[in-house]
Amino acid sequence: MSAPDVTFKPGDFKTDLKPVWCPGCGDFGVLNALYRAMANLGLKPWNTVILSGIGCSSRLPGYVATYGFNSVHGRALALATGVKVARPDLAVIAVGGDGDGMAIGGNHLMHSCRRNLDVAYILMDNEIYGLTKGQTAPTTPLGDKTKSSYWGNPEPAVDPVELAISTGATFVARGFAGDLKSLTGIIQRGIEHRGFSFINVMSPCVTWRGDSQYQLLKEKLRQLPEDYDPTNRGSALRYTRETEVLTTGVLYEVEGPTIGDRIEHIRMMAQEGGHVPTTREILERFMPTV
Amino acid sequence: MPRSDLSIAMVGSGGDGVVTMGDMIAQAGAREGLNVIKVEAYGPQIRGGESSTTVRMAASEIYAQADYVDILVVFNWKDFARFKGEIMVAPDAIILSEAKDETEVDGADLGAGQDATWVKVPFIDLAKESAGTTLAKNIVTLGLLSELFNLPRKPLKRAIEKKFSKKKAAVLEANIKGFSAGVEFAKGLGDRFNDRRLEYEPGEPRLLMSGNEAAAVGAIHAGCRFFAGYPITPSSEVLHFLSEWLPRAGGSVVQTEDELAAIGAVIGGSFAGVKSMTATSGPGLALMTEMLGLASMAEIPAVIFDVQRGGPSTGLPTKSEQSDLWQALYGSHGDAPRVVLAPADVEDCFHTTVDAFNIAEEYQIPVVVLSDQNIAQRRETLSMLTLDHEVKERLAPTPEQLDGYKRYEITPNGVSPISWPGIEGGQYQTNGLEHDEYGRPTSMFLTHEKMNEKRYRKLRPIRDEYHFIRRYGPDDADVGILCWGSSKGPVKEAVLKANARGIKVAAFVPQVLYPFPKHEFEEFLKAIKEFIVIELSFSAQFYKYLRTFLELPEGHTHIFKRSGGKNLTVAEVEEQIAAVLPRAMTKREVLV
Repeated sequence: MSAPDVTFKPGDFKTDLKPVWCPGCGDFGVLNALYRAMANLGLKPWNTVILSGIGCSSRLPGYVATYGFNSVHGRALALATGVKVARPDLAVIAVGGDGDGMAIGGNHLMHSCRRNLDVAYILMDNEIYGLTKGQTAPTTPLGDKTKSSYWGNPEPAVDPVELAISTGATFVARGFAGDLKSLTGIIQRGIEHRGFSFINVMSPCVTWRGDSQYQLLKEKLRQLPEDYDPTNRGSALRYTRETEVLTTGVLYEVEGPTIGDRIEHIRMMAQEGGHVPTTREILERFMPTV
Repeated sequence: MPRSDLSIAMVGSGGDGVVTMGDMIAQAGAREGLNVIKVEAYGPQIRGGESSTTVRMAASEIYAQADYVDILVVFNWKDFARFKGEIMVAPDAIILSEAKDETEVDGADLGAGQDATWVKVPFIDLAKESAGTTLAKNIVTLGLLSELFNLPRKPLKRAIEKKFSKKKAAVLEANIKGFSAGVEFAKGLGDRFNDRRLEYEPGEPRLLMSGNEAAAVGAIHAGCRFFAGYPITPSSEVLHFLSEWLPRAGGSVVQTEDELAAIGAVIGGSFAGVKSMTATSGPGLALMTEMLGLASMAEIPAVIFDVQRGGPSTGLPTKSEQSDLWQALYGSHGDAPRVVLAPADVEDCFHTTVDAFNIAEEYQIPVVVLSDQNIAQRRETLSMLTLDHEVKERLAPTPEQLDGYKRYEITPNGVSPISWPGIEGGQYQTNGLEHDEYGRPTSMFLTHEKMNEKRYRKLRPIRDEYHFIRRYGPDDADVGILCWGSSKGPVKEAVLKANARGIKVAAFVPQVLYPFPKHEFEEFLKAIKEFIVIELSFSAQFYKYLRTFLELPEGHTHIFKRSGGKNLTVAEVEEQIAAVLPRAMTKREVLV
């Protein structure tokens, strides 16, 4: 075992795999912010698990020297639920893209929020499907032309932040992949937060949304006001469905019991005096009572 | 002559207390050390509607519910009509029905012959007069049955006391009166039913549990400490039982938002080093199929307990069938090795679940357990002593192996040491992508071929280590039967009965369906002359599966297959034996 005071630098979290991402992809920024946040928090790689689904951004666990799992499309949070409930002692981070999290895996987001699962979920939002080469995502703005919407996207976009706030996440933030310093801070706070932390990171796709996505985003980005109170759900919701601007920062943060806390409480109730029943004792329950 | 084996069916509407009555009789039988099998059947209504319960009690071992009931209690013939073709009576059955119900019944419809005895019983009036309420109808019936057929009196009375102990004293008193009224009415019928009285020596009390409960206890015994599941008939009792008991054992239960989340959470829990399981039925298994492939690819232990019901689609949610076989064997894209086990009775649900964990953990492979509604929901008496089973653990890497750790190291038996979070230096990044020995993604043909070979290599040692087979009948049988799962009960009973009459018939029941115990089965085939496959699948899934890797005796192979929805009967098996026996005998003479 290492001495307890061993600390890890951001570079220590790197694996020898080279990311498959296109040069200029926003996901590099997210990965770097994550390395820094983990180092700043003093996370131990062997006590940390990063899970993902499928998509460009879901390749991320392969680039971090913790325990990692790049699973199947949409199920990052399903796996994360199992990891965190079965092993509450671990730091658990889920990552993925907007298609993975908002379309095929949308159902799991709502329930992870509702349960207040103690997991930090980083959604890399590029408003497009990248890995499958440029189709419409649930986050693609209405009317945008994509490979799968030749005549323009006929569907209005979802705001992931609004969804997370309204379904019970206890930490909701919006960040920008091009702002390493702020993003590191947001991710760090999100991992530290006890409960479900949802971090929507605007992470441009230079290949399918064009180089201009960076510029367009930068022009829209705003910071939260200095005196902003993140404990008010109503205030937080005012920064959702924004069209002309995009506000970054921690929009919402409250404390509340996690599913882990509640299951722990159930265990305490169930285990009177800490006694773990033997198989024989369980079977006694099936002896006739008459 | 008194009987040592008696079956009673009770049919009524919700509110008639038919299910309670069945529970009380079964409990009383278990208390007296009898062998009991109790099944219930319902209509599709959530509350109310028709319901039936059938209890078979015997002094000797029994393996299935009886084909024909000796005693039928009908509160309402309209309800009975809903079970047409499912509840059949013996030709000489005693049929006790509500006096007020004047429906004309054709005895032939239920299998009653000329020797049947039809008794009109004023259940409603007796209940009103004695207990002051028609609600006590079932208690009156218990008194009546107890007196007529020698059902264990004391435990039945204790069951009534227990049931009403929390109510006002007057309620209990009224029900005791109801019971006595039933007893008195029976006395009035004289001694003409003495030949149906149950005769037995009281023995030690026995456990009374369902297959789903046995599976849940098996899971805890095996060390399962994480369960994720989505409610679905007829598997939900596994979730129910574990929601109560897994926390007591220090584990956790999550009722997930769907089956996708359930299997995902199980893979997550298992990846995190905790033995994990889910339970479902056919429609749920269909949803889990993609991630069954993930568990296979990432080599994560996972136990999927599938309780089969009639399909396809929503099918027959409350009835049994053996038609999830192909889905369990082949359901997945790509080449995804998995193990498929099949318990054959309630006790087996315990053992097979433990084995499922042992195989999953030892070989890092998903294991599907194919139970079915029949054994999952019936209650059966068991001995406490047989419910024990060796438990195995996954292979962790040694400190030396952690140096340059290869999570998917290619080894002679395909099993690579698996680390889990918390093990320092054991970190690895896995995926559903094809990967090299370190777990790094690759699309290279050579690696894919090598890793497929590695994953499939595990099946051989699994087959060598785990090949539980039940074999009944003589070694040199004329007729050999192959079946799986709950079909074992009627097949075993038919085979033993035939053997007792000197007929040389044998049965082979594998508990591991994949990898199939091929060598043992080929030995079995060599010794027999005519071969019958029996299964409850309209398209003969089991027979066709066998054909993919076995030469079956041409011209001497017979298939008995039909849809589920009604459990296999002993008579059906006997008919099959009788049909092919002459051929086997002829052949024998020729051979001699």
